[in-house]
Amino acid sequence: MGFQTIKNLARAAILLGFGSASVAARAAKTTADAVFNMPEGVTPTSHQVYDVHMMVGWVCFWIGVVVFGVMIIALFRFRKSKGAVPAQFHDSTFLEIAWTIVPVIILVAMAIPAAKTLVRMSDASDPDMSIKITGYQWKWQYDYLQDGFSFFSMLSQKSDEASQYRSGIDPATVDNYLRDVDHPLVIPTGEKIRLLITSDDVIHSWWMPDFGGKTDANPGFVNMTWIKVDEPGVYRGACAELCGRWHGFMPVVVVAKAPADYQAWIKAMKAANGKYVSPFDGSLEDVGSPVVFESTSYNSVMGQPTGAAVPTGTKLGSAPVAAAANAGAIGMPTPAPKTAAAAAASQPWDMQTAMARGKQVYDQNCASCHMPDGKGNPAMGAKPIAGSPIANGPLAAHLARVLKGKGIMPAWENILNDMDLAAVITFERNSFGNHTGTLVKPEDVKAAR
Amino acid sequence: MSAVTIDHDTHGEHHPSGLWRWVTTTNHKDIGTLYLCFSLLMFFIGGSFAMVIRAELFKPGMQIVDPMVFNQMTTMHALIMIFGAIMPAFVGLANWMIPIMIGAPDMALPRMNNWSFWILPFAFTLLLGTLLMPGGGPAGGWTMYPPLMLQTGTAFPFVIFAVHMMGISSVMGAINIIVTILNLRAPKMTLLRMPLFVWSWFITAYLLVAVMPVLAGAVTMLLTDKYFGTSFFSAAGGGDPVMYQHIFWFFGHPEVYIMILPAFGIISEIIPTFSRKPLFGYESMVYAVASIAFLSFIVWAHHMFTVGMPLAGELFFMFTTMLIAVPTGVKVFNWTATLWRGSISFETPMLFAISFLFLFTIGGFSGVMCAMVPADFQYQDSYFVVAHFHYVLVTGAAFAIMGAVYYWLPKWTGHMYNEKLGKLHFWCSTIFVNVLFFPQHFLGLAGMPRRIPDYPVQFTDLNMLSSIGGFLFGASQLIFLYVVISTIRGGEKAPAKPWEGAKGLEWHLPSPPPYHSFTTPPDKEVWDHPYRD
Repeated sequence: MGFQTIKNLARAAILLGFGSASVAARAAKTTADAVFNMPEGVTPTSHQVYDVHMMVGWVCFWIGVVVFGVMIIALFRFRKSKGAVPAQFHDSTFLEIAWTIVPVIILVAMAIPAAKTLVRMSDASDPDMSIKITGYQWKWQYDYLQDGFSFFSMLSQKSDEASQYRSGIDPATVDNYLRDVDHPLVIPTGEKIRLLITSDDVIHSWWMPDFGGKTDANPGFVNMTWIKVDEPGVYRGACAELCGRWHGFMPVVVVAKAPADYQAWIKAMKAANGKYVSPFDGSLEDVGSPVVFESTSYNSVMGQPTGAAVPTGTKLGSAPVAAAANAGAIGMPTPAPKTAAAAAASQPWDMQTAMARGKQVYDQNCASCHMPDGKGNPAMGAKPIAGSPIANGPLAAHLARVLKGKGIMPAWENILNDMDLAAVITFERNSFGNHTGTLVKPEDVKAAR
Repeated sequence: MSAVTIDHDTHGEHHPSGLWRWVTTTNHKDIGTLYLCFSLLMFFIGGSFAMVIRAELFKPGMQIVDPMVFNQMTTMHALIMIFGAIMPAFVGLANWMIPIMIGAPDMALPRMNNWSFWILPFAFTLLLGTLLMPGGGPAGGWTMYPPLMLQTGTAFPFVIFAVHMMGISSVMGAINIIVTILNLRAPKMTLLRMPLFVWSWFITAYLLVAVMPVLAGAVTMLLTDKYFGTSFFSAAGGGDPVMYQHIFWFFGHPEVYIMILPAFGIISEIIPTFSRKPLFGYESMVYAVASIAFLSFIVWAHHMFTVGMPLAGELFFMFTTMLIAVPTGVKVFNWTATLWRGSISFETPMLFAISFLFLFTIGGFSGVMCAMVPADFQYQDSYFVVAHFHYVLVTGAAFAIMGAVYYWLPKWTGHMYNEKLGKLHFWCSTIFVNVLFFPQHFLGLAGMPRRIPDYPVQFTDLNMLSSIGGFLFGASQLIFLYVVISTIRGGEKAPAKPWEGAKGLEWHLPSPPPYHSFTTPPDKEVWDHPYRD
């Protein structure tokens, strides 16, 4: 049998396999529809990755059919109970050579397209734009390097509430449970986007099945990859490297918009003075972590920015013109959830509001280390809040500790806004057996930055 | 068959009795028994951690445990199963069978043998004890990647110490095996006349000696990074967390072959016996094991395809990893050719060996899929990988161990096990292990990451199915426990050779064999040579 014959036979078998595949396993386009198989995804890379996967899958399948077939025949035909008499042959040099060489040929045949795909995927040259992605425990930070702003993207409030231990909330009632964030990454379609991926603490991994793969986020190093999304939509992924307690709770959500809509969103973001502009309906989120401008000091979170990133003439709180263009641009079924935080922001700042909001912020950000009962985690260095000299002592010291952090405790001034910081510090000073009676106001936080 | 004289040690049978016998024994049969009993206990402990995992993953939402406890369960499940169940079981089988199979009176270094075992209960008491310490046990995965692992609290130094102790035990055991095989074979038993189980352990022992010290180095660097101011794995100090991964997996990949090569040896003993036909391609099988062992040193980074390696590195490791499928395939084909035109019966050991043949091969297929780097960018750290390694480790290594236990239990105890219960254990295990792990392939492909205690709602059905399989598979192992215990205590008397087609020195000894066997080496006429003329 000539080499060409073998290749033709192999191709025929693979085509037969593909034919069966198209009938049997109708592939999902995105993870949202995926049940049994990898999604084909929405980038050229994801399609190529899918093709490599299906190729190797079918080759293995057909080899299995042949090999298992021979085994099953042997187990049936040569049963002692049916009177089989054993032969005594025990080697064949020809067979040993044959079943070494044939697998090598099959493997080489698969390695060529796989290597070609890998080479193509590795070419991150000439991107149209770059975004820096930083993994944190337990959220992502997206940094638009050309546009000069960044924001944090963490698990959405509803998912977080439902995922608490014995929350009593049925996850099936939560839209996109564990796949929803407060601030999705927004990107344009059709452009080659270079992603620079790193981490602030431990190793994470940014996995978007719909874009074709994942890249690890290593602290102190930057990994580079690229994506080019074909069509607008909402795409959901996850962190894919064990990173501690909430590893399963820091999803990735990307909203891809047509280039014109994307530019409108960028303009709106720059005009929004630190608030996040929802890519779904253009509404401004004035709670949760702020959008930070690189030329802006953090004092500007709730006030006028000092940097040049914001266009002149923009007034605080004004809804950007572009917001209307955003709404309906994608026609997404799920508008950004109106969180309880938004409700808190609209009420007068009193003890009740602060404590309610503070508990949410504590549960979402502090409880993982300081524990839901405030007793701390001595083994990892998280001091107890209950009876803490800092939480019961002068407010200035408490503010300094929360804002600036210490050791593995992050500097929360970079992550939470004034209102949430005021709420959580109020909560800490009046919970877990602490009774300071202090009500911390957002202005106090702003002054302490 | 000519008359055979086996030298029974009738004098000097004054080994201590009671508990002290087990503490001070230097007898390879006793030590083999200790390893096997220890391994069975660890199997159930590691299995109970898996039950916690599957219980939490039964439905979305957090119902059973806190995420931190869940991470401890995944970490400890793996550490216990790998270092406490699978490896000691293979060492136990080696201790029992290698001296007998080569006609030696005992292992070459019997007192070191005792120490090799007795380190283990201390190591695992320490490891399991960390679950009760403040901050809980290790929760960074059995792979212990920094910087996450450095966030472990009080448990950290104990885990490192336990790993060191396990490593020392393994290395001493491996040295013992190499020295025994090289020096104590019966006259005229050249290396290429040894049973394949002995060959597989011979090669495995070299792998152990080569790589356990590498693991020791890696975890020591973790220790100094945390306590002594080094920064091997911290960029701020000039180090690199990915370097840990390279060092760990340089150990880790040969480690997984350490866990499967003895299994290959067992299958090569069982299938010829129950096919009543010699093993097909003895020399090829030896070369295949040696090739796999050699190749295992140059594939490690296939566990790290997503860390950001340069293209040349990714291509190199893709090609070498694909290559390892070739000798593995050769072995599967040789086993199949052994079956072909044999005369096959289906006692419990054979059932496990056949199940190994099918299901380990499925694990091998998913391994080849993982070798394809572009596709692995999707599979890595997802349930697809979890499915792959559980197929090769559970239906591969664990099933081979169970098959070996059924195969040699009559020899060890002098009693036949209950064949009906053995078959029941087999069928329950085989069916439920597939219910447990096959759906996990789909979960991984559909986008479910691993090491997560909770998941998006779309993954509910397959997780529920997998959990049900898990509970039933776990429960089925109680049948095995019952069979082993009841066979030790009594049962139909077993002849010297309970299996009609069995060949090899062990079947020339009575069941059970005398405390000291082959005090003088057997003549060549005594041992059948089923492999070569």
